[in-house]
Amino acid sequence: MNLLDIRNLSIELVSGNKPILAVDRVSLCMKEGEVRGLVGESGSGKSLLAQAIVGVLDDKWQVDADRFHWRGTDLLRLSLEERKAIISKDVAMIFQEPMACLDPTTTIGEQLEEAVDSRQLSGYFWQKRQQRKAAAIKLLHKVGIKHHEFCIRSYPHQLTEALCQRVMIAIALATRPVLLIADEPTAAMESSNQGQIFRLLASLNQLKNMSILLISHDLENVTHWTNTITVMYSGQFVEAGTTEQIFNHPFHPYTRALVDSSPKANMLLPAKSRLMTLPGSIPILQHLPIGCRLGPRCPRAQQACVQAPKVKNHHGHQVSCHYSLKDTY
Amino acid sequence: MLVFIIRRLNLFFFTMLLLTLLTFSLSFLFPGDPLVNLSGQINATPQQLEQLKLAYKSDQGIMQQYFAYLSHLAEGDLGLSMASQTQITSEIINLLPATIELSLIALMLAMFVGIPLGFIAAVNHRKTADNIILSVAMLGYSVPVFWLGLVAILVFSIQLGWFPSAGQLSLVYEIEHVTGIQFIDILLSDSVYKWQAFRDASAHIVLPACVVATAPATIFIRLARSSMLAVLETHYIKAARAKGLTFRQIIFRHAVRNSLLQIIRHIGLQFANLVTIAMITEVIFSWPGIGRWLIESIYQRDYTGIQSGLLVLSTFIFIVHIVTDFIYAALNPLAREHNHGTS
Ligand SMILES: Nc1ncnc2c1ncn2[C@@H]1O[C@H](COP(=O)(O)OP(=O)(O)OP(=O)(O)O)[C@@H](O)[C@H]1O
Ligand code: SF4
Ligand SMILES: [Mg+2]
Repeated sequence: MNLLDIRNLSIELVSGNKPILAVDRVSLCMKEGEVRGLVGESGSGKSLLAQAIVGVLDDKWQVDADRFHWRGTDLLRLSLEERKAIISKDVAMIFQEPMACLDPTTTIGEQLEEAVDSRQLSGYFWQKRQQRKAAAIKLLHKVGIKHHEFCIRSYPHQLTEALCQRVMIAIALATRPVLLIADEPTAAMESSNQGQIFRLLASLNQLKNMSILLISHDLENVTHWTNTITVMYSGQFVEAGTTEQIFNHPFHPYTRALVDSSPKANMLLPAKSRLMTLPGSIPILQHLPIGCRLGPRCPRAQQACVQAPKVKNHHGHQVSCHYSLKDTY
Repeated sequence: MLVFIIRRLNLFFFTMLLLTLLTFSLSFLFPGDPLVNLSGQINATPQQLEQLKLAYKSDQGIMQQYFAYLSHLAEGDLGLSMASQTQITSEIINLLPATIELSLIALMLAMFVGIPLGFIAAVNHRKTADNIILSVAMLGYSVPVFWLGLVAILVFSIQLGWFPSAGQLSLVYEIEHVTGIQFIDILLSDSVYKWQAFRDASAHIVLPACVVATAPATIFIRLARSSMLAVLETHYIKAARAKGLTFRQIIFRHAVRNSLLQIIRHIGLQFANLVTIAMITEVIFSWPGIGRWLIESIYQRDYTGIQSGLLVLSTFIFIVHIVTDFIYAALNPLAREHNHGTS
């Protein structure tokens, strides 16, 4: 049974005069204990998708889906409160900017303690305070913060970005989630810190069998840590498959370009030669191309591409392209 | 924190410098002899004039005159009132507490009514409650204070007879003047009618305080609403929702604190506005405060009184401003400049 099964999820921005389809029918499927990468350029709607799953998008976004199953329960049939209760119990999210996601006027300790699920506590209410505190300290230890005394007393602005990120992970772990959504957990971090955070996430995955949805704009950065990868471009589904399939035999021209632009996949290239990239840049929301949104930048684009392609499945390797590269291998 | 205090003291110093420069120059700008304007002695004999000349150094340069004026201020000598020929300092000591009392109570009232209403409006953004509160705020803001005061007297004291229409306390109660703040004096006094006096004083302050508080309360409604809306948009509120906190928990634990901080910054500015309204209200309700006295001084061309009243009121407003700055700094961890390093 799939942990999370989302089919054709769309997110529309309805605040303007004309609604804009920011995320266009994206599907996402996760198994228990799986680490899935969600990759795409900046602005491709990864954060929107993640926030839609957790249900924290505000009123100006409208979310629709054909299917939204969580561990076999159809969430679309439940009321808003029931859905929120299930999701907030089992799914935790680390947001993109850790510093901005901590309340600047509340100490780290308080913010950690309030995240601790009261169902984990036992005894009378005067004991609960102590237990909460102990749980908070334990969480800090779990994410590798040793001087917890100092950390608990601090306000967010007194900590570094990397430390804030660890605190955010600790807060996310407080509810003992089944699925952790990590939105660019290592952005704006030095590479040594990046490695630490990834190793921490990997160990959580192995020890607790926690599934992780790892969001990144850098394909190469996550391939080492993921089992499967979903690629998005400009709010559209591009390709999904195992990390090997995506990295070694990408079927979609966009994924191909992503792989070709990463130095690791191009070890054989002579030094100082140009890396392959696509011309142009990702379209802004106000000027989205019709049909396949990669069209204007795609080297293989033809007339059929003004119609959005359907997703085709080749042994678990899904691709959404009229002229996929499958036959070229 | 030390840097912060020094900065505020610095600001205080320069503002006071400018303020005293202004009042000092007023004595030259007003018609008549600057010396008489400064000292307020309109009926001085030639000998007294000589003495005054010496005291205010008016035969020396302008800087010396200014410093002489400052030293008089420092000794608490504001001169005589031109109208009544009494010491202005003692008049102010008698009158200022009543103004402090009225304006601070009105400020509290405006905050306790305005801020929660603003929060309620923000939480119900674009719903009926929001629209009603906003329209009421608009209405309250556009009603002129003198009209409001007169209507309040007409309705609540003349027709309904609930509250007295003038003064601070009935004349039947004799309360010793200790601090000047009526409520504190009543509580300190050992009169047997203490509690009756207290009730009477409360009844007297209700109408003027409400009239003074109306316009500032509407401003607080809008301030609170917009700052709460801004806070609800932030990432940490989103993250708190993802944490599984309920809406109430988010509002009370995170949103209220952060938006209150933004509001506190504006209290100092609003207070100047409020004191101006209080001055007019004092006239309407014959409140024995410094605002009414200042307006009377203007009518009577009591230049010494105008100067001193201006100085004292501005200082009062400025002190409140600085106090709110300190409260803001004490509550906001970001303004307290003491990072314990970063590690
Ligand atoms: N609050 C918002 N209002 C309007 N547009 C928004 C808002 N948030 C995001 N967008 C737009 O939605 C699109 C997708 O944004 P999203 O944040 O999901 O991108 P992303 O893939 O997470 O990119 P990044 O790697 O920069 O985080 C972008 O074009 C962005 O401009
Ligand atoms: S559908 Fe057409 S435009 Fe889109 S990626 Fe495939 S070939 Fe390129
Ligand atoms: Mg993002």
